[in-house]
Amino acid sequence: MATQEIPNLKSLLASRRGGPSRGRGRGRSGPGASHEDKEAMRDNAIRNTDQDAAGSRVSCVELGYLHDPYARLFASQPSTRRLPLLNRGTYVRTSAIDHLVDKFLTTYPDSPKQIVSLGAGTDTRFFRLQDGYPESRIVYHEVDFAVNTVAKLASIRKHPQLHTKLGAIEPPRTPNEASYYSPTYNVHALDLRSLASSSDGVPIPELPNLDPSIPTLLLSEMCLTYLQPSTVSSILHIFLTRYIAVPTPAALVLYEPVLPNDAFGRTMISNLSTRNISLPTLNAYPELSDQRARLKGYGFVDGYKVADTALIWREWVPKAEKDRVAGLEMLDELEELELLLRHYCVAWAWRDGGAEGVFSKAWADVQE
Amino acid sequence: MSIGGSDLDRAITQLRACRPIPENQVRELCHKARELLIEEGNVVGVDAPVTICGDIHGQFHDLMELFRVGGDVPDTNYLFMGDFVDRGFYSLESFLLLLCLKVRYPDRITLIRGNHESRQITTVYGFYDECLRKYGSANVWRHCCEVFDYLALGALVTGAATTLEPSEGPIAENINIDNLPDSDAEIEIETLNANGEIMYRYARNSDSQSTSAASQANSNPASSSPIAPTPSRTGAAGTGATSSANGSNKNDTGAILCVHGGLSPLIDSIDKIRLLDRKQEVPHEGAMCDLLWSDPDEIEGWGLSPRGAGFLFGADIVKCFNHKNDLSLIARAHQLVMEGFKEMFDSTIVTVWSAPNYCYRCGNVAAILELGEDGSNAGFVRRSNGERGGGGGGWVLGSNVGPEGNPTAENRRLSSVLGDSMQRARDGPGRRYRVFEAAPQDSRGMPAKKPAADYFL
Repeated sequence: MATQEIPNLKSLLASRRGGPSRGRGRGRSGPGASHEDKEAMRDNAIRNTDQDAAGSRVSCVELGYLHDPYARLFASQPSTRRLPLLNRGTYVRTSAIDHLVDKFLTTYPDSPKQIVSLGAGTDTRFFRLQDGYPESRIVYHEVDFAVNTVAKLASIRKHPQLHTKLGAIEPPRTPNEASYYSPTYNVHALDLRSLASSSDGVPIPELPNLDPSIPTLLLSEMCLTYLQPSTVSSILHIFLTRYIAVPTPAALVLYEPVLPNDAFGRTMISNLSTRNISLPTLNAYPELSDQRARLKGYGFVDGYKVADTALIWREWVPKAEKDRVAGLEMLDELEELELLLRHYCVAWAWRDGGAEGVFSKAWADVQE
Repeated sequence: MSIGGSDLDRAITQLRACRPIPENQVRELCHKARELLIEEGNVVGVDAPVTICGDIHGQFHDLMELFRVGGDVPDTNYLFMGDFVDRGFYSLESFLLLLCLKVRYPDRITLIRGNHESRQITTVYGFYDECLRKYGSANVWRHCCEVFDYLALGALVTGAATTLEPSEGPIAENINIDNLPDSDAEIEIETLNANGEIMYRYARNSDSQSTSAASQANSNPASSSPIAPTPSRTGAAGTGATSSANGSNKNDTGAILCVHGGLSPLIDSIDKIRLLDRKQEVPHEGAMCDLLWSDPDEIEGWGLSPRGAGFLFGADIVKCFNHKNDLSLIARAHQLVMEGFKEMFDSTIVTVWSAPNYCYRCGNVAAILELGEDGSNAGFVRRSNGERGGGGGGWVLGSNVGPEGNPTAENRRLSSVLGDSMQRARDGPGRRYRVFEAAPQDSRGMPAKKPAADYFL
């Protein structure tokens, strides 16, 4: 693995612990900032998006949108209540992916399943699945920057509610441990971009316990969108041909923004750029139809579907649940919510060779 | 101390610079404002000419832009339809400035209540936190909320002209002058950009064909010139889309009701609004709540609102209400519209939205609606040579475009927002929309600490 791709892990970690790195980042972004500095700053900005997501999750949990007793254990910032429309959006995002994962796990429930969460950050899904599907045989993998996995493992070590979920396996003990391996839960410290530079024939980094033979769901919740389309393509190629080669059933679930070219999309791009965040796949796959074509191109020949989160809220969420969620907070910003939800999509695509394949069966009735 | 005369002018100067005034002055100002507002009926009578504005939402710099584009107080009469606070970073400065102007020029500015002028909503959407942050206590928030309780629920504009005197502004770039109606045509609608350049002009009695042609041209996103082409007066009067039912040449437009949200199933006449006891926190249901929360929608009759308060109401409700109350138009705010304004139901109701790039995120343009005085040049108050130039009493045309600016930016964004058909029972007032974009970023003075979760990351 190309360690030089992860610049100054320790110093980045220190700056994180020392408080918001924003001021420091700004200083370094001046005209004299070197290319490497800018790169590091961009990387740092992307790593920090994870705490944004964690905070949004906590806000949702505290207001009753989501049931997730683990969210708060991973959030490093004091919880701030998000605006109702952001809570609604986080709810839709999380419950949409939960829905697809649920369909996967409950299809052929006795057979083993594997989930690889790319850029997992502080995501709590593994722990929630332990509670929700105690009988399932899940092998769960998370991949992220080492700076994020170190923090995550530290949280797990700190909270018994978390490390007791790891079963009989010893909880991680070493400070600054960046990876963790067990038959059920694995945390891999890996800069995904390092995979993109691996060419055929060159050994790829070992991902311990990644089983090449069981149906595998790749998850990218606002992760691959931060990478160049060609890099994303290479990463997925490695996963789909080398880690999880044909004929093992494999699928991908993406959550990312769409519609960069209207007024809202242009404003989003411009606002995020002031935080040093760019979203290369947003421009590369502007419309839902582009997302579909993209997924097919990755080799998910058996299905490639996409829905924006506005449709998901309308069509996926049952009436009673909609009423429950709508009753949690008065939501005045309906037009803005609709705009926001239309600019994010969930895409799901799979290859499993035939209608009896696990993904074809699981997702046959999921509406796009 | 008392806030009057020069104290008030000092407070106005300070607030115009986006600097909060001391707490004791706020208390005094709010006290004065309450004394003034308590004398107003639930439905304030307003004479044209007047410029009608929608939601502001604490976007102070964009409010300054609005005054630049629409003319300053007291040279221009303003009617703000509520939602002064919440969401933006400067609710406090925006609301207090408007309140100061109200106290200073009570006959020149009308403020009515929006659904965000409420204790409950402001604790969720930011104004409460902002007051706490800026003063260290909730006192100022409490003073402001007491004023909210006294704000009128609506306004009735009378004496508006049915036709616009065509403005003398230059034609915006990319507009074909041949598409403008004849110079002797009676102009019903005109849309100007922030430079005062003409983007669209619609003659009363224009035939339906040219209107639909305009809609079609606008629905083509690839068009290099997506400005609404101006329908000319080519069709014979009396064809499908004409509005001659009431005799088109007379200046007898009905009144215009202005309200933040919309109608209520409990209210079938304006007199019933007058009978409400408004001096209270916005209730969760009932007529007062509906006026501040409801939305027009493409339905028949009434529907449940997905907002959890107020109702949805269809074209039949609006037309019936307007007919019964001798209204030519309902102007309301409350809903973000990307183009700044949106006429619905054969132009019997219009949504005006005055917060450009809402929440610094939505990318929308904003608009204000000028109604002219019967028999005068609509909406244009001939201004003295004010502080912003405009020279020698000429028409003052707002501009937010610097020397290097691109005045066509907002042109590109304007799409067809006018109804498919202009027909209705009463001749509507002549309507001049001024469309403007957010104040330039560098003038915004964005707070150093930005909100954490603008997007899903």
